[in-house]
Amino acid sequence: MFRAYGIFAILLITALLSVPVLHAPHARAGLGPAVLVVAQQQSDLAIIVNKSNPVENLSMAELREFFLAERSHWSTRQKIRVAMREPGAPERAAILRLICGMSRDQDFTTHFLRAKFSEQVIDEPRNLDSGRNMIRFVANVVGAIGYVRADEVDPSVRVIRVDDLSPGDPGYKLKF
Amino acid sequence: MRRVNMKAYTLPSAILFLVLSAPLYPTETLAQTQAKESVQVSTSSLAPPTETENEMMRQMLQRIEDLEARIRELEGRLAKNESMYAVPSAAKDTAEASAVDVPEAPSTGIETGAGHSQVASQTGSAAHDDHEEQRGTPKMQIQGFAEVNYRATNERGKTNTFALGQLDLFITSRLSEKFSVLSELILEAGDDNAFTFEVHRLLLKYSLNDYLNLSAGRYHTAIGYYNTAYHHGSWFQTTANRPFLFAFESRGGILPLHNVGFSATGRIPSAPFGLRYVAEVGNGRAFRSPQARPVQTAVDENNGKSFNLGIFARPPQVPGLQTGFSVYSDHLTPSGGPNVGQTIMAAHLVYQNTRDEFLSEALAIRHTSAGRVFYIPGFYTQYSRRFGNVRPFFRYQYVNASDDEPIFPSVGRRNGPSVGMRYDLSEYVNFKLQYDRTARRRLSTLDELILQLAFTF
Repeated sequence: MFRAYGIFAILLITALLSVPVLHAPHARAGLGPAVLVVAQQQSDLAIIVNKSNPVENLSMAELREFFLAERSHWSTRQKIRVAMREPGAPERAAILRLICGMSRDQDFTTHFLRAKFSEQVIDEPRNLDSGRNMIRFVANVVGAIGYVRADEVDPSVRVIRVDDLSPGDPGYKLKF
Repeated sequence: MRRVNMKAYTLPSAILFLVLSAPLYPTETLAQTQAKESVQVSTSSLAPPTETENEMMRQMLQRIEDLEARIRELEGRLAKNESMYAVPSAAKDTAEASAVDVPEAPSTGIETGAGHSQVASQTGSAAHDDHEEQRGTPKMQIQGFAEVNYRATNERGKTNTFALGQLDLFITSRLSEKFSVLSELILEAGDDNAFTFEVHRLLLKYSLNDYLNLSAGRYHTAIGYYNTAYHHGSWFQTTANRPFLFAFESRGGILPLHNVGFSATGRIPSAPFGLRYVAEVGNGRAFRSPQARPVQTAVDENNGKSFNLGIFARPPQVPGLQTGFSVYSDHLTPSGGPNVGQTIMAAHLVYQNTRDEFLSEALAIRHTSAGRVFYIPGFYTQYSRRFGNVRPFFRYQYVNASDDEPIFPSVGRRNGPSVGMRYDLSEYVNFKLQYDRTARRRLSTLDELILQLAFTF
């Protein structure tokens, strides 16, 4: 008797909770709401580092490790300091989707909470509310890595290539 | 001889002398002046001061001197900080620039932007936080995890009940660029409804680089994957409870999941597939008597130490994949019986992305006692997939200990499935519904329904 009620309750509640979610347009598309916003624009994102950083090129896999704090130091032994745009910014959503493989900001938050919990990181990414502030932060913090729209870049920071391609090159992957 | 009228010159001369000599007197603070006045009043109005009054005066003057010294110290610090945090001239033009330009200040030992609050941190205040952290003493960051459960079971002697789960206070603090502290404090009500408090993790960490991170203190043993991935935070878990293999010692778990000692972790230089290592040495698990507290936090019951060595890979080519193995070794010394050698071999294969989760672990516990060898094999496999905010899951687990097992004779064989779902009510609150069915050797099959609200704050 107990078993029957238990199984029935699981099936019923699962079904009830799933219906509105599965009928949402973004769920049918397999995409989160943030992704839909990003897809409406087209621009290149430039990965920027401090001018003193000698690194010139990173692969997408390396960028993923950097932005998810699976690496803590540059090859120069400088501590990596990840800078992110604030939650809700289309640039951030693009980085989460293209580099981190995440469709929801919540996944990124959870990832870092879990990384802290699992002793992998102490510092969370720095959130900055504009491209201008991002550039200034990266220009002043030696180990920083961040991103801005390619047309926002100024000479105070250095743009690194991604998979040997620069923003504007054909085949450049970081578009949003 | 002409007589000089001295009286006519005396008063102007005295006034002139006082005016000219005034700057030569040391400057007094208002407090000093008041103190001296009060001293004069007390000494002039009442002839000889008493011993108590003398002591009071001495204390007041001493207090004044202390305060002046403190002011000088603070002024010195302020001047030092102003020179330390001077921003490039180009950045000084706007207030916003000064808020964002946060140069690393290695001389302070406290890293720029150390651990401000995750999504809540905004730019305007974030840089401000940096300044505060650089200038002040180390700051603690506390993240709380908690759960509320309802359990219904057909296990004899147990009733259906609401239960407050663990209140987990997770604390971190950066002490310098390389040193940090991590702690996990648990408040939990036991079967007697009384709360207990325990430090489940307390680690001083030294992070030299990606290849070497040293920790000392009480830690979660890196046996397999689950223990160091989820710790005590049920909010992170897909399921409402841990696999039986990884149940905590206080809840009848068979693995030494907590240990006190020293550990080293890091990447293996130049190794392919994102290979990493973990090496641990600690007190190991107590087993002098069944009633002994299993975690030897302050006293080890023998001189032998436990060792754990693990190798695992996170290939960057396949994000979300992790596989590895670990070997743990210890000596248990039950009273009234022969010593028992314990070796635990564990292997895991895990794949997790934002949609799919596949966890699979297998291990074997090997006990050697009086020339006999006993094995406890066990495994669990869990799969889940997210649909929007809903994540249904399935898990199957198995463990089998022989009846004459020297350490865990009551475990026996347990196996069975768990099904359920996790529903994210908000970013930080989730609801879980789980049904467990556990078959037991020579015992009745257990059915259990668990409803759980887990949250972080």
